[in-house]
Amino acid sequence: MNYSLLSLEILVTLLGVTVLLADLWIPASARKLLGYAAATGAGVLLTYAIGSGAPADGTAFGGMFVVDALSNYFKGFFLLAALVVLLLTVDLSDTIKGYAEYCALILFATVGMLFAASANDFVLMFVALELITVTFFVLVSYDRTRSGSLEAGVKYLIMGALASAFMVFGIALIFGSAGTTNFYEIAAHQAELGKSPVFLIGLALTLVGLGFKVAAVPFQMWAPDVYQGAPPLTTAFLATGSKAAGFALLMRVAFSAVPEITAHWSRLILVIGVLTLLYGSLCAIPQRSVKRLMGYSSIANAGYLLLGMAAVSLSGSTAVLTYLGGYIFTVLAGFAVIAVISSRAGSDDVSVFAGLGQRSPILATGLTVSVVSLAGIPPMAGFFGKFLLLKAVANHAGTERFFLVALLAACVGVVISLYYYFNVIRSMFWPKSVPDLTPIAVGGATRLALVLSIVGVFYIGILPNSLVTGARQAAAGLAPQSAVAGHAAAASAPAAAHH
Amino acid sequence: MDAHAAQHAVAASSAFSSRPEDLAWFILLLPLIAAAGIAFGVRRSPFLSSTLSISATVTAFILSVALFLAFGLGGYASSPSPFSWIHVGSLNVDLGLAVDRLSVLMLVIVTGVSALVQIYSTAYLHGDPGLSRYFGSISLFTFSMLGIVLADNLVMMFVFWELVGVSSYLLIGFWFEKPSAADAAKKAFLTNRLGDFGFLLGILVVWSATGSVSFTEIGNALGGNPTALGGLASIAGLLIFCGAMGKSAQFPLHVWLPDAMEGPTPVSALIHAATMVAAGVYMLCRSYVLFQAPGAWPAHLWFLGDITALDIIAIIGGFTALLAALIAFQQDDIKRILAYSTLSQLGYMVMAVGCGGPDAAMYHLTTHAGFKALLFLGAGAVIHACHHEQDIWKMGGLWHRLPVTFRTFAIGTAALAGVPILTSGFYSKDAILVAALDGGHPVLFGLGVLVAAFTPFYMLRLVIVAFFGKPRTDAARHAHEAPMAMTWPLIALAIPSIAVAWFGLGDFLSAHFNPHFHAHEGGGLFGPFNHAPLAAVFGTGSLIFGVTAAFGIYWGATTDPLPERLGLLSRAMRNRFYFDEVYEAIFVPMHDMVGRLAAAVDRWVVSGLGIRGAHGSVELAGRALRLLQTGNLQTYTFLFAAGVAVVVFVATK
Repeated sequence: MNYSLLSLEILVTLLGVTVLLADLWIPASARKLLGYAAATGAGVLLTYAIGSGAPADGTAFGGMFVVDALSNYFKGFFLLAALVVLLLTVDLSDTIKGYAEYCALILFATVGMLFAASANDFVLMFVALELITVTFFVLVSYDRTRSGSLEAGVKYLIMGALASAFMVFGIALIFGSAGTTNFYEIAAHQAELGKSPVFLIGLALTLVGLGFKVAAVPFQMWAPDVYQGAPPLTTAFLATGSKAAGFALLMRVAFSAVPEITAHWSRLILVIGVLTLLYGSLCAIPQRSVKRLMGYSSIANAGYLLLGMAAVSLSGSTAVLTYLGGYIFTVLAGFAVIAVISSRAGSDDVSVFAGLGQRSPILATGLTVSVVSLAGIPPMAGFFGKFLLLKAVANHAGTERFFLVALLAACVGVVISLYYYFNVIRSMFWPKSVPDLTPIAVGGATRLALVLSIVGVFYIGILPNSLVTGARQAAAGLAPQSAVAGHAAAASAPAAAHH
Repeated sequence: MDAHAAQHAVAASSAFSSRPEDLAWFILLLPLIAAAGIAFGVRRSPFLSSTLSISATVTAFILSVALFLAFGLGGYASSPSPFSWIHVGSLNVDLGLAVDRLSVLMLVIVTGVSALVQIYSTAYLHGDPGLSRYFGSISLFTFSMLGIVLADNLVMMFVFWELVGVSSYLLIGFWFEKPSAADAAKKAFLTNRLGDFGFLLGILVVWSATGSVSFTEIGNALGGNPTALGGLASIAGLLIFCGAMGKSAQFPLHVWLPDAMEGPTPVSALIHAATMVAAGVYMLCRSYVLFQAPGAWPAHLWFLGDITALDIIAIIGGFTALLAALIAFQQDDIKRILAYSTLSQLGYMVMAVGCGGPDAAMYHLTTHAGFKALLFLGAGAVIHACHHEQDIWKMGGLWHRLPVTFRTFAIGTAALAGVPILTSGFYSKDAILVAALDGGHPVLFGLGVLVAAFTPFYMLRLVIVAFFGKPRTDAARHAHEAPMAMTWPLIALAIPSIAVAWFGLGDFLSAHFNPHFHAHEGGGLFGPFNHAPLAAVFGTGSLIFGVTAAFGIYWGATTDPLPERLGLLSRAMRNRFYFDEVYEAIFVPMHDMVGRLAAAVDRWVVSGLGIRGAHGSVELAGRALRLLQTGNLQTYTFLFAAGVAVVVFVATK
């Protein structure tokens, strides 16, 4: 077996273990070094992964593990998210009890995400997901002395266990009816399997589990509570890495394993997408907690992404991938600021952000860029992603009324989101009461993380071509070899495939 | 994707080493880097800010000269490797730079004048608390202006066009605590936006007709099929011209330029003499190929018949030239005289384009940039010396108190007046008169000659009243010469005012617009008298007339004798022919009425029914949905399981 295919996974694991072990010998006063080391390691691996080190396409573990354009696309972003989050931990290391373990857990969760990007089998998918979810149970409740954090941890644990239970049940049904759990092999027989109710129930239950991961309606209930209760950096990683991993798997199952069934379910995905985005947008309005607001915003964004998937087309998948790329930069920029402010003020109420423009221009810039990008305003990354998504949906709006309704709903959602996103900006620059105006010192590592994210947001917004090209290659590589013809047919005429 | 990007970067960097014309990218980006450096780095130190800004601009100037020598004189045209920016449907916009005779010449002008103005400003604005902001804005302005110059497509040009509008807003309103400056900045911005609206429409028309926004491709499309623009040919041309009308302050959008004199004087020299106002003329020359297409009007505008867009442009230009010259007769503020003179010269240039002489227009633009910047900076030195007194009747006798300023100002005046053989202004003005004559516009030629007589008259009025006679106030009595940082930019600008015509610039430009152009036999300094004696003789005659009249009326005068002799006409000139008043009388009430109507609609329909209604219902929905989010885990698990049931049911249905 070609172990070089797993080089990234192995190296990140080693990095995590090294951080854990190094903590035994490094004095407590120097623990910042661990954070720097972990971040540097992630940075080196990131450059390695997107540079010459990207392994060539291939499969390992008897086809369970696949390396292709899609897995490489996602792995770059997972490592990036890990890098930025680790950088952000450095300046907050004094406030995190068990700092080395926190860094190591983030790295282990990253390993889970890397495996998720390459999973080509329901079993490996489940294992990767559990690695992510279990690590996050710990990360969410890391702030042990704060009841909010523990409450979030318990909620995430129970809801996660519930989702995992459904998923494992679903996988069992799939295996029972198909006799295999490999995506390519299932794809080869999907015509017969599509007629088997057992298989369809199994598939639906698996998708329920993934729907939980990405916080799609009706499996979104945990998100606001957990986003609000968890330590801010955990939330940042949850909103970027974990969510993207969910979408990586969702796309692989939908378009690699069962493209024809996905085309049948296009309307279902569309309806879920519309409900998700409207739910997220509407509930965000009355929020005063910025972290909770980001939770709802994360739900709304999952809705937009599902619309792109429902289009079942190359342009739809490309849009989803592009949107995710820009979304990761955007959310990281926002959470960098939220982490600094909320750990300082002990609260994440909108009012503690008042006067930020004067207190720290770079923090105000970061949050403004993030929020404006989330609202989908050019020249930020969020605009281009949303534009491509809506365009992919609009391509079908002429022939299918469902898509037209979805398009209108998405536009309504965008307008509503402007309202609550700009509420944040308003309280930042035009506060109602005279706020505390003491300047906030921002550490070097945080500054670096912020600049990295802000530059990313602008780069993707202004020169999106390289990202779109990469996303298109990744999306085009999704179709399994044996089912290329079927996928192409489904992609070109999803409407015709409906009953 | 990133490997791809890396390859691209490698390709780009190797391109830099092998293609010297890619220097243009550096020239463009240097001022932007300076502006960013000031905004994010050295803002707190005025000294560092000015040093950064000046060194970036001077480097850009040196690179521009190198580019000019490398490509301009070789007559070689090329376009540095573009990279694609927007690909949406059928709209493809590449970020590409046009490096040819036209743009390298403009690069030298813009960076050169900008560098001198910045050096001058260090002394003129010494101690001003906003100095860093000033240099940041001026770097941003230089970047935007270079962008217009180098843009190889209409969309890119429009983006930089707007950036010039924004940065000039910042510069005109530099002393924003003065209400007049803030108002002037707003007026300039809004008037320009009015023109830009037309420009944008024009771009859309051209794009829809030719399918491209790149100058080269539009040229090719029109070359292959001259009637590609169909019935919209003339309309497209006029819409594009609207943009030029705003930036180059042509009648009836000329009102912003004199008010913009509220900005610091060096800004007036940069923006309102050499660069921003030249952008309109430059844009007309850059897109001249659009105007060469045979004119055509939509069917219901049949009555316009054979009149082409160029004819209308020429008439507007000529009218602006005359109108502004007349207004300049009776202005007392030294900067306003120069402002109206600028308007008048811009009218000249636009008229030249309209008469089919873009080369003449560019020629005059080049020479005018030099001597008008000189005049403005000279005026700045005078104002500086007289403790911010701008009324020429409160000066007098300055010639021996400000020797360097006086001599350089006199050279600038001679160039503007068009003294034959000695000054550059003569040759470029002559080129315009020849263009009018050759283009078959005898009336405009006559108008040009008239303006050529008016120009020396009002300029000498300014020189005689301000520099000669007895000092009329204490400020003038105690005036003393400006510091070195201000005088030597004056000297540096005086050189091209005399010398620029000696190097065959006219032929250089003519060859750009007409590849088959051959320089005239027997050119040289007396060229104009040899091959177009009529224009040269009329030009010289009008100069002599203007000079004589000015000396006759103003030599030794302590008050202006013109109001008595001209009566009502003088009052009209003094009050700028009441344009501002008329605009105020017509547009302000109309504006108010529309505003009130819009406010009512906004308050009752949009805000009441629309926003409040929508906001209320959305907010209600949000609050209602929040009830679902109880925070109770049992509720969550129940809803989750119910959701699973629904999904499984729908999925297997």
